[in-house]
Amino acid sequence: MNALASGSFWAFVGVVAGIYTILALGLQLQFGFTGLLNFGQVAFMAIGGYGMAILVVKEGWSTWLAAPLGVAAAGAAGLLLGLPALRLRSDYFAIVTIAFSEIVRYVATNEESLTGGSQGTIALGKVGTAAQYNGQWERFQARVQGWLGVSSKDVTMLVIVWAAAIMLLAIVWLAVRTPWGRVLRAIREDEDVAASLGKNVLAYKLQALVIGSALAGIAGCFYAWQFSYFSPDDFQPLLTFFAWMIVILGGLGRVWAVPVGAAVFGFLFAGTRFLDFRPLSYLSGADRAYVRLIVIGLVIIGLVLLRPQGILGKRDEMVLE
Amino acid sequence: MSASLQVMDVVRVFGGVRAVDGASLEVEAGSITGLIGPNGAGKSTLFNCISGFLRPQAGRVLLDGKRIDRRAPHRIAKAGLVRTFQTPRALTRMTVLENVMLAAPRHGGERLAGSLAAGVRRREREVRTRAAELLGLVRLDAHASALAGTLSGGQRKLLELVRALMAEPRILLLDEPMAGVSPTLRVELLEHILALRERDGITLLIVEHDLDFVMRASDRVIVMNDGRVITQGSPSEVRADARVVDAYLGVRHEVS
Repeated sequence: MNALASGSFWAFVGVVAGIYTILALGLQLQFGFTGLLNFGQVAFMAIGGYGMAILVVKEGWSTWLAAPLGVAAAGAAGLLLGLPALRLRSDYFAIVTIAFSEIVRYVATNEESLTGGSQGTIALGKVGTAAQYNGQWERFQARVQGWLGVSSKDVTMLVIVWAAAIMLLAIVWLAVRTPWGRVLRAIREDEDVAASLGKNVLAYKLQALVIGSALAGIAGCFYAWQFSYFSPDDFQPLLTFFAWMIVILGGLGRVWAVPVGAAVFGFLFAGTRFLDFRPLSYLSGADRAYVRLIVIGLVIIGLVLLRPQGILGKRDEMVLE
Repeated sequence: MSASLQVMDVVRVFGGVRAVDGASLEVEAGSITGLIGPNGAGKSTLFNCISGFLRPQAGRVLLDGKRIDRRAPHRIAKAGLVRTFQTPRALTRMTVLENVMLAAPRHGGERLAGSLAAGVRRREREVRTRAAELLGLVRLDAHASALAGTLSGGQRKLLELVRALMAEPRILLLDEPMAGVSPTLRVELLEHILALRERDGITLLIVEHDLDFVMRASDRVIVMNDGRVITQGSPSEVRADARVVDAYLGVRHEVS
């Protein structure tokens, strides 16, 4: 069967694009609107996913309690990181965030009694048992599937993830249009001016960081439910940069550019799996995997060259000093 | 006459350079005070110490008798002391109107939880009306919906002035308001600044290199050199003071 024509394959691509949308939406709020250089977004996704899974498996909590708490933990981590680090100049803040995201990954790898270590969530429970954190979620998903009347699990997840993504996009879209959002944009443009007009810059930056971290935490929960298993290796820094690519491809400072960027990015990543025609078919499968990454890189470079402002960005804003 | 702003023996050192070296001055409530001095005299550093952007290493700054030298810039602004910047700092990717609206004080809509509170929409309408009014004052109303980055340097200076006014300051610190402003606009700007004191009762401290403007606008002139206040007085007193000429032209060496 040709995977390209398979509806369930594209549904899967859509689910991943939806999860990336939520992850990148946090980054859009932080960088696109507030100017915060967060290079550690993946850490908050890990905290959200692990928080939820640990509370379900180890504490026996209901998924519906564990997930909000995992998200809250991601937000709280943003607050704890931001309190000292947001006092730094923006480039130093960026370095701290990337270090933070590696610290989180290393802790998840080595703190076996808490996270299951490098074996991943399967080792969360007692020795010799395969831990599951998504029983309740699976039952919920099955109910939604029956209600939707579709045959594919992936299509069901697609509907759930995008319903959540669209709701979150709408909330952020409404929030940035308020006077609160105006202060965020002013801080992005020139934080000294905002301070000179009586705005508590640190407080606003913290709010943007915490909300963006919580969004990453939500993405982490969906990631966990979609794949039924995850390990620290799923939270490599590369994922943060995927989110950056989505935000830049879509357009900075535009809420609805995030799903567009995520869709383009997801399509690029999935579509290039099928580069098996000649002359590429002469290469071995492993070599083709690398060629695929080169192709993705070239396409992204091309897009940025053609539209530096992003797909939905405004050109006139790029040329202003 | 009461002093609105008091600066007492403020010191600020960068490495080995004593940029502000024990400067003291007073600005009387309701006055226009000019602060002049050659480049490198420490005027802008002193402005930064007063407005909280730099912390003085010694000395005190008092606003209406209360110490403000340990406060964060936004708290000083909320206390009624607002400053502008030497190089105009327009928020370029926001509209001209948004630039001004941003400065509105006591706006509940700027709180994350407050954006849904009652009265926020009404306050936002008030703010919009007031901002449009202020833009009309400096004839930028035609540009209200343009991005601030499209304005010329002189227009940005005017924008910065009305943006600071939107914050409803009791005391306004202007850092070179005339720099980059065309001669025709300068005349208007002078009138606006004089009107601020007359009409709104705003106290002004103005750093400016255009001595003609300073002498015409100010009630008192303070002269800085090498991080200290070397003299002060009425414009005519300062004009006649030999130390001022020395500071600008270099010390005369008597041939002995």
